[in-house]
Amino acid sequence: MAERREYEGLLDEDEDDDGVPRHLFPLCDPTHLLHRILVLVFMCFLGFGSYFCYDNPAALQTQVIQDMSLNTASFMQLYAWYSWPNVVLCFLGGFLLDRVFGIRLGTIIFSLFVLLGQIIFAAGALANHFWLMNLGRFVFGIGGESLAVAQNTYAVNWFKGKELNLVFGLQLSMARVGSTVNMNVIGWVYGRIEAMLGSTGHTTLGITLMIAASTCLFSLICALILGFLDRRAEKILHKEQGRTGEVIKLTDVKDFPVSLWLIFIICVAYYVAIFPFIGLGQVFFIEKFAFTTVQARAINSIVYIISAPASPLLGFMVDRTGRNILWVMLAVITTLLSHMMLAFTFWNPWIAMCLLGLSYSLLACALWPMVAFVVPEHQLGTAYGFMQSIQNLGLALMSMAAGSILDLKGYLFLEVFFIACLCLALLAVVLLYLYNYYKEGELNLSASARASRIKSENGHQLRDGGPRHREQKPLLENKTKEPGLDSAFTHQDEMDLLERRSAEEEHQTSQTIMCLSDGGYELQNHQMVTDMENNITVNTHPLESTVLIIQHDWRDFLQTQDILEKRSPSPPSLSSDKMSTSI
Amino acid sequence: MSTFTANLIFSVLFVVFGATRGFLGNGDKFRRKVSVELNPGLTPPWVLPPGVGLVHVRGLGLNDTLHFLLCNAGAPALLMVHTNSTQSVVQVDWPSFINRSSAGSLKVEPQSSVQYSSALVFTRVWEYDDVNNTADPQQTAESSFYPPYELQNFLWSDLNETLDQSGLTVKLCGGERTESFLNGSLCLQFSAFESVGRDQPWPSLHHNANSSQLHVWLNGVTPRGNHSRFALEFQSVGDSGFQGRVDVHSSIDDEYTPSIFKVSQWVSSPVNQSGVWGYNQWKPVAYRKAVPVFEDATPCKHSQLVSMKRIPQSRLVQAYFTEHPQTHGLNISFGIDKDPVFYSDTKYISWTVLVGMGEPPADSFSTLIIIIITVGLGTPLVIIIVGGVFVWIRKRRSHSSGYEPIN
Repeated sequence: MAERREYEGLLDEDEDDDGVPRHLFPLCDPTHLLHRILVLVFMCFLGFGSYFCYDNPAALQTQVIQDMSLNTASFMQLYAWYSWPNVVLCFLGGFLLDRVFGIRLGTIIFSLFVLLGQIIFAAGALANHFWLMNLGRFVFGIGGESLAVAQNTYAVNWFKGKELNLVFGLQLSMARVGSTVNMNVIGWVYGRIEAMLGSTGHTTLGITLMIAASTCLFSLICALILGFLDRRAEKILHKEQGRTGEVIKLTDVKDFPVSLWLIFIICVAYYVAIFPFIGLGQVFFIEKFAFTTVQARAINSIVYIISAPASPLLGFMVDRTGRNILWVMLAVITTLLSHMMLAFTFWNPWIAMCLLGLSYSLLACALWPMVAFVVPEHQLGTAYGFMQSIQNLGLALMSMAAGSILDLKGYLFLEVFFIACLCLALLAVVLLYLYNYYKEGELNLSASARASRIKSENGHQLRDGGPRHREQKPLLENKTKEPGLDSAFTHQDEMDLLERRSAEEEHQTSQTIMCLSDGGYELQNHQMVTDMENNITVNTHPLESTVLIIQHDWRDFLQTQDILEKRSPSPPSLSSDKMSTSI
Repeated sequence: MSTFTANLIFSVLFVVFGATRGFLGNGDKFRRKVSVELNPGLTPPWVLPPGVGLVHVRGLGLNDTLHFLLCNAGAPALLMVHTNSTQSVVQVDWPSFINRSSAGSLKVEPQSSVQYSSALVFTRVWEYDDVNNTADPQQTAESSFYPPYELQNFLWSDLNETLDQSGLTVKLCGGERTESFLNGSLCLQFSAFESVGRDQPWPSLHHNANSSQLHVWLNGVTPRGNHSRFALEFQSVGDSGFQGRVDVHSSIDDEYTPSIFKVSQWVSSPVNQSGVWGYNQWKPVAYRKAVPVFEDATPCKHSQLVSMKRIPQSRLVQAYFTEHPQTHGLNISFGIDKDPVFYSDTKYISWTVLVGMGEPPADSFSTLIIIIITVGLGTPLVIIIVGGVFVWIRKRRSHSSGYEPIN
């Protein structure tokens, strides 16, 4: 009973059993839309603090360097120290949230880390100890990335199915809003504090950072409220705590295919040319293009501003057309062009930065889903964890390298370095394309070709339908015990989808077909169990219903891919970084 | 056929390399034979005051000569004379030079071969109290200015010791007999060059055989206020018939001067003609340490070019220019608006300028950058082409097979 309840989730307002109290106000009723919107608000602001504070150094670059008497290499250590804990934590985050702390306590703990980290960071500035600031960033990093994973898990738990894509999109936009607000506001705050105190210096910096820590406090409060609401909903609805559903097995690394390693190279080489650049960008625009500080901050944040609306649109486009590798190639080439424009010309940098924002969003939409195509499901968690881990490692190292290069050789050389990294990414994309072509893999198929390939695979399944039924049954029942990657989304194999659809067909539930694309998984599962118990075979369907089945399968497949890509890298990964999964 | 292909390939490569070399701006590879002498033709009983000397640097080209004369009698001056003969010499009438420096006591013979001459004179060091922290002496009230240091009154250390014949450099260090210069001095280092190259220390200006470099620095001079900033005053003396202007160019290459994307050029070109005959080129950056790192750089500004009524108080200039020379003046000031670092923090500020004739040298990318870009862009391009051909061949082969696998 319990697992079915979980699958039904919070959508079924028609389910009247088990006495869900109907006398609650809509706002207090966990099943009602209004309450879930309230929860959504808190969920979105959960990550706001960490996104706001992540890019504090970039927005205050000149002030930090002057007040703490640093050079650029030391300044970039602030970013490097954020990435270091996440090299390891990407593997552990899901495990900690599922097995050790539970989602609620875990979220609160990680929010505490974020707040504590920012406070230590500010205290380091107040006390004029740079090592303390680095320590603060380290602690901040421990909390930041894992908080993103927790945020996603909450989203899936509360909005699984129907509005999940929208919720992910909103969370992502909030993340971007946080970064943008930081870029444009924190400098003004610093100016006000400076006017108040009458001078610049590490004290001014420390006070500004402490004020920024108030956003982290706000996030902590959201985490507490969310935990309370989640526990309350659990008690009222008798559902379990959400799970991340990740399984990380390090031994799977040796099984990774060549395509995956090429994808890793693309990921690292590409993001190395984006995030350190944004970190150092403000002074670049001031010096080279003679921008004012305000303008420089604005243009530095344009990448985030663009990716908020562009990501869902580009994601939709990539979903509809397929051909992921070509999109990745286009994104890498466009970023290469934009860096070359910034390096070798004096053309208006707004053009280059807008191109950069668009291509960054495009790459996120096209690259991360490719992992799901090359790796079997039970290894997806490990693959994504590994991808994030090496991404963080690459960023930590390259941030420091970028700082040193700037100190010794200036901005042109730094841009050439970024161009070289992008050329490496381009090389990897081209090799991936050729390898995929040679092996006739499915990374670069168009959407229709993928659908027909799934159809042919499902066709095989159709032909030997009997045994599969028996296989599916125990699989379903085991779902809750083993947190596979799917359990969170109730995503079984595509075969299951087919059978489910066909089962529906059999029962002529046209209505259920209609709401399928919105993710009426739960209902289907329910049906599925019944059908299997009744031993329905799927061999006797007319052609058009088979076509309909395929169409619905494909739409669901797309949806799961969306979910996978979004949830994998803790999308709204803070750091505007790495987890760019942020589509 | 194979030799034809080979020839074709080689000629294409040759053209490509030639084009890139031209693009790299390596066209000014000519050399000069440079010789340095101190006080040419000075014999006892005539003697110069201690620390004062005349350095003559002669750069012999294929069919022309470039003379540089550096003299610190009075305000330090660098005179550049370009002649179109290889036999030109400098003649100094020492008695009149030492006593009165009357016009004509220094000549470059034969006078008819002189094509172009101009002088850069370093006249004053201004110090002002930057109370508003704007680093803009143009906007600062006159009352904030301390009395300037007049370089014509400076006492210099012995030139003989600091003359480097092989390195083609000479260093002048000196100061006033006041307490400000008790522990410090103002130094100038003049370098001459035989061919194209770049100095190691920042700002690593790109020079060719037609240029020389003047490196100026204040070391250890006690500032007269806590918020003191300095500015240097230069005057340029030239023949009538030339006009001067200051251009500021943007440059994308900041390899040698990180975060500085501009080049300033004070050029002199004849009236009613185009073309630049002489230049003073610098990057708008000054350094606060002797061996600077990225953070020790500070931007510098130049003021408007002003026409002066009188020739500066430099014996060299007064001795050389006979017919109504023109004088223009310029101030170079250091620091930027709201700069929290003042001179008193490091007690060191240095600035470099390139003085030469003809067109100012253009900066070019370093070899490392060229290599990185070529390899970086070339490798994927090559693989794309090769891979594209490979894919195309496979497609053709699969089409021509006629069978489409039914799967």
